[in-house]
Amino acid sequence: MLDVTRRHFFRDCGYGVGKAALASLLCANARAAEAPQANLLAPKKPHFAGKAKAVIHLFMTGAPSQLDLFDYKPELAKLEGKPLPPEVIKGQRYAFIRPEAAVLGPRFKFAKHGKSGAELSEVLPHLATIADDVCILKAVHTDQFNHAPAQIFFNTGFSQPGRPSMGSWIVYGLGCETKELPAFVVMSTGGGISGGAANWSSGFLPTIYTGTRFRNQGDPILNVSSPGGIDAELQKDTLDLIADLNRKRLTAVGDPEIATRTAAYEMAGRLQTAAPELTDLKKEDKETLALYGADPDKPNFARSCLLARRMVERGVRFVTIYHEGWDAHSDVTGNSRNNCKATDQASAALVRDLKRKGMLDSTLVVWGGEFGRTPMVETNPVLGRSLGRDHHPQAYAIWMAGGGIKPGITLGKTDELGFHPVEGAVHVHDVQATILNQLGFDHEKLTFKHAGRDFRLTDVFGKVIKPALA
Amino acid sequence: MPRLYLSPRYTLLICAALACAALPGLPRDARDGIPTPATNKADAPDFNRDVRPILAARCFKCHGPDEGARKGKLRLDTRDGAGHVLGKANSELVLRISSTEPGTVMPPPATKVTLTAKEKETLAAWVASGAKYDAHWSFVAPKRPEIPKLKAQPANPIDAFVTARLQKEALSLSSEADKYTLVRRVYLDLIGVPPTPEEVDAFVKDKGADAYEKLVDKLLASPQYGERWARKWLDLARYADTNGYEKDRRRSVWPYRDWVINALNANMPYDQFTIEQLAGDMLPNATVAQKVATGFHRNTMLNEEGGIDPLEFRYHAVTDRTAVTGTVWLGLTVGCAQCHTHKFDPISHTEYFRLFALLNNAAEPDLTVPSPELEKRRAGIEAQIVKLEAAVGDRLRDKKGIESLAAWVATERKKAVKWASLKPTNMDGGPATKLAIRPDGSVFASGDAQKRDLYTLTLSDLPAGVTAVRVEALVDPALPAGGPGRAYYEGPKGDFLLSEFALKVDGKPVAVASASEAHPRGNLTAKAALDGHPHTGWGGSGQPGKASNAVFNLAKPLTTKTATLELLFERHYAASLGCFRVCVTTAEGEVKAHAIPAEVEEVLARDAMPLVPNPGEPEVLARYWFATAPEFKAQRDEIAKLRAQLPAMSETLVMQERPADNPRPTFRHHRGEFLQPKEEVKPSVPAILTQPRGADAPRSPSNRLEFAKWLVSAENPLTARVTVNRHWHALFGRGLVRTLDDFGYQGELPSHPELLDWLALEFVERGWSVKKLHKLIVTSATYKQSSRVTPELLARDPENKLLARGPRMRLEAEQIRDSALKAAGLLSPKMYGPSVFPPQPPGVTTEGTYGKLDWQVSTGEDRYRRGLYTFAKRTAPYAMFGTFDGPSGEACTAKREVSNTALQALTMLNDAVLLEVAQALAKRTAAHDGKTADRVAFLFRLCLVRQAAADELASVSKFYDAQRERFARDPERAAKVAGAGDGAVERAAWAATARAILNLDEFVTRE
Repeated sequence: MLDVTRRHFFRDCGYGVGKAALASLLCANARAAEAPQANLLAPKKPHFAGKAKAVIHLFMTGAPSQLDLFDYKPELAKLEGKPLPPEVIKGQRYAFIRPEAAVLGPRFKFAKHGKSGAELSEVLPHLATIADDVCILKAVHTDQFNHAPAQIFFNTGFSQPGRPSMGSWIVYGLGCETKELPAFVVMSTGGGISGGAANWSSGFLPTIYTGTRFRNQGDPILNVSSPGGIDAELQKDTLDLIADLNRKRLTAVGDPEIATRTAAYEMAGRLQTAAPELTDLKKEDKETLALYGADPDKPNFARSCLLARRMVERGVRFVTIYHEGWDAHSDVTGNSRNNCKATDQASAALVRDLKRKGMLDSTLVVWGGEFGRTPMVETNPVLGRSLGRDHHPQAYAIWMAGGGIKPGITLGKTDELGFHPVEGAVHVHDVQATILNQLGFDHEKLTFKHAGRDFRLTDVFGKVIKPALA
Repeated sequence: MPRLYLSPRYTLLICAALACAALPGLPRDARDGIPTPATNKADAPDFNRDVRPILAARCFKCHGPDEGARKGKLRLDTRDGAGHVLGKANSELVLRISSTEPGTVMPPPATKVTLTAKEKETLAAWVASGAKYDAHWSFVAPKRPEIPKLKAQPANPIDAFVTARLQKEALSLSSEADKYTLVRRVYLDLIGVPPTPEEVDAFVKDKGADAYEKLVDKLLASPQYGERWARKWLDLARYADTNGYEKDRRRSVWPYRDWVINALNANMPYDQFTIEQLAGDMLPNATVAQKVATGFHRNTMLNEEGGIDPLEFRYHAVTDRTAVTGTVWLGLTVGCAQCHTHKFDPISHTEYFRLFALLNNAAEPDLTVPSPELEKRRAGIEAQIVKLEAAVGDRLRDKKGIESLAAWVATERKKAVKWASLKPTNMDGGPATKLAIRPDGSVFASGDAQKRDLYTLTLSDLPAGVTAVRVEALVDPALPAGGPGRAYYEGPKGDFLLSEFALKVDGKPVAVASASEAHPRGNLTAKAALDGHPHTGWGGSGQPGKASNAVFNLAKPLTTKTATLELLFERHYAASLGCFRVCVTTAEGEVKAHAIPAEVEEVLARDAMPLVPNPGEPEVLARYWFATAPEFKAQRDEIAKLRAQLPAMSETLVMQERPADNPRPTFRHHRGEFLQPKEEVKPSVPAILTQPRGADAPRSPSNRLEFAKWLVSAENPLTARVTVNRHWHALFGRGLVRTLDDFGYQGELPSHPELLDWLALEFVERGWSVKKLHKLIVTSATYKQSSRVTPELLARDPENKLLARGPRMRLEAEQIRDSALKAAGLLSPKMYGPSVFPPQPPGVTTEGTYGKLDWQVSTGEDRYRRGLYTFAKRTAPYAMFGTFDGPSGEACTAKREVSNTALQALTMLNDAVLLEVAQALAKRTAAHDGKTADRVAFLFRLCLVRQAAADELASVSKFYDAQRERFARDPERAAKVAGAGDGAVERAAWAATARAILNLDEFVTRE
């Protein structure tokens, strides 16, 4: 019986069979929630057929200035140097500036692009070329005005660490298609992520749903390469010996968890082959590398975007790429220019590449920060800051593409100061609900019972952004 | 929502669509894998076991304790609230749940919640039997159950309870585990590490009837016992060595961790353990240790991100404290009532904030922890300093010295200004700060510092013609880092920024002509406190614990006797002054601030030096002379060198109840949001836990200490049960109540209710002794059973709820590393002290979450300390521990997940720490006498404790021989695997072999 089960599992599921998986064959009453490792990663059907199978989240942490990239407000130029009326501010707390800080006009030229006429800043020339493939949301708002809580909020729907991240929820709901790679991958261009591992934590979901960090230096996955001197043959012999002794132990003590352990080692073996294959960008043709602006050996945002496409091709479900450094408390002009230089080409290339490979329809790309930046200027002689913008939670812009999102539209409008939404306001919980919707989930139904109640990504909020759906 | 055609009373019954989010679990009971005792159809369903779980899961969300969410004024959680729908004949409840009409059926289709046929049957049967309500089991004090009588009465009552239950299923306990398994199990469980072969042999060879009991006593007395159980407690305490959030800087709170180890080793009674951690500071004549214990609730996170609202994150910390207290002591999900009245349990929104109030009245200072060793070292250095300082006295013995001092005094007198200290007659520190005047005229600020604090001081009886005002920033040990400021996050501790200085007469500002400061600090000048820009200002010396002052010269002498002084402190972090004094002078001409201490200047500024100095004055002058005169530079330098050698005293985070004259008010917050405080609430505990109360019942706790005492009083039905259940879980991998953190209506019912109550009462009666509880459990036959399982038994009871076998559990993260180090002979026995930095893969440290990690790998034995001492960084936990489900310290962890993943396999196979262990094991094995098979047997015992079976010996020996042969052909590769030293080929082969054994399921499992 044990053997049959195990064989079935290795063949069909690629992951470990656990107590409950076995028990459920033996006893129809077994409870999945109890099983430590019950087949937690087996592919599962969502609530309904979703358009997207995978998500690539380009998380522009630090918060890009929507007023200098997406939301053109000529009125600000007229008001430059004057304070905003208090009735606009409405008691909003700020991180660094005072509410009466003066207005700062747009820092760049804007123009309309594509058939859709999306209005974009001159520092986004590549995005301009795919304007008809993306849906720009210009009136997103959030509850948080500090980085760590706002990033954790965007990822988990709650501002304090401890809840599951979007990627974890999705793998919990959909399982994992790849047998060689982690289902939920996190990359970073290296600047440091506020809030840290809480951003890709599985929270109170089983820890197997935690995001796996792909690193820029050393092993892409910690310990994925064997130590020096442990060659392939030794590794194979070792895995065989482990499997052999584990099998003997299983016979002696009967705990099916032992079979799960052996299966995990087999997966580890596959990962050791799959990870180098995945990260070897030399296999990509020159044209593709040029499209992204990626150098196979240089860890940066472009390389991460290309890696993300390769991951999704191989069945990875959720990829987050953190590009840090948008926190323009000073010199928002230089900051925006530099960060766009680092991200614009590759972000657009990713959409273009997915499209030409026929993957865009099933891959949802989300680009944006944790909040926006103020129409008011930040100047602080003590901190040596000038011509910056502070954190602004009331309204900011993100874009989405693919995965059943309507291409070539701009939704939402802010007032002429870019301060408050006046039309099509969407909350971060709505964005989360929409992402889940595209994957086939009713965000109100994707729940997990913890500490006496059912929790979900969108807390008790969130509405799918219907106008954004294709 | 469907339009209803029913009477209004009926329409009120409709649930909201939001209720019971979908995929709701079945009531826990119904889902259990094991058969519950057959309920005879004629039997009325048991309310607690059969009925409440259904009502709680399906109905309470709209018909429960939460008034705000309640539909139809119907509450089904109380008999009174439900009476009118429960009538025996034509019960509306039964009609509605059996209806198929969308507008009538309950729960309404919009809720997406449905009742199964069996659930409907149960509810109908319950109504038919008279719809009896029983109090929820855990809210009723435990009663001592009778120990079941069996044919062969076991000595340990635990076995009687377990066996009696098994007999109902025609099952029995499994036989006792073999001695090797048992000794490894009890070592791992009680002290966290496996035994050495010598320790194993000592036990196996002891044929005495009391061999096992002796072993248990030895382990309970081992100092490693405290380390093992401290780690479990620290999971609950969400202990970490960093602050969390964006910056995630270091904090020093390890003295608290050491306190836990000591308390557990000393077998401190759990009631005292509770009281000291929650309110040790409030005990009469609290000892340092009792104050250190209050670090429990200082383990909340601290957001140091620039620009945050500090009170908002303090509020989050108190919500965490409230929820954690509920989890740890009450086993209740009180956090659910933060936003609204609890949907399932009888805790109202107001009651939540009353509980919150009990924990909301403390200040949060750092405490210097005296350490005899450090104090001794300090005393030695200080004695040398005193000797050097005595040189000043010596200089004053001769005429030359006295003349030199006199000359210095004469020079300094010319510079001295006569200042008059003012005691403000009225002070306002804004909404969160209380200003108090002290006898020396200084003002001390207490309460909560904010990003913007405005101090308004009324100055009366001013001398005529005030020309300048001096603000002295003073130090005080009660302030962060000694002050003078109140900054405690983001900026340097003890920092301040006086953004604006304004002296007003009749509400109009008095013109200030010039300003100066005693210590230069970049652009943080006194002048900047006059520029109208709130983000610029005067910042004192910039050194914590160092006083400073600024002087503001008025454009024209004041002509009034009264004025108002406004001091505005505003920065992107809280940075108001904690201690200061205001002085005025009528001296003519521009007065400059200088670094001379006020008490020295006061003496120097006398119109005439008295012939006979006032007591203390010569010393004041001489000390300052010594501190500044060029002729003492050499001595001063030497002293400075010595001071630099003074070892820093350890600090830890503690709670300190606020004084009675300045309590912090608590409000109910609408939707639990910080920005929505409503009416003020008074502290108390939820009514459900204190009922029924007679007239002579003690009043509800009204402060933290009373609350702590109440938690461990006989009046509270929960603490003892929750505690013994957690210990049961630790030893069996499953609680008697599976939901360790939820003993409320939504929690699971106990699998062995009588055993749970018996244990809870025994625990209390045996003096809340955790060691006695552990001994009681681990000496039971239930604990000692073999964990071997047959397919039949696995099918009967996959979760091992009935305990017909011992549990087989994966080790915790730290245990895996500790076990490996111990097997290799590397584990350091060193206890206590600051956390250490063992090696971890380079990717973790070069790509930290907020820039590069400050992870200087420890040297010497600190590389090999127990995992408990590994530096716990919240945003980037030690990689191996994270991989094996270790907590991050960001939230209270009542139960660690147990996962089994490929990443764990990669860690065990490839991590440098494990390779180092394999190399050390190889050395030991290669040095062991005997043939290959003997050495394999030895290696087996080092790693797995038990003897290897013949077929295992054969497999492993074959592997070793094959690898040895391959390494012999490639010595370079052998050297890489073996590490430095002779006999690399043999050692490499042993290292490869040890590596394989470390990767067996058995190695990471306690059987």
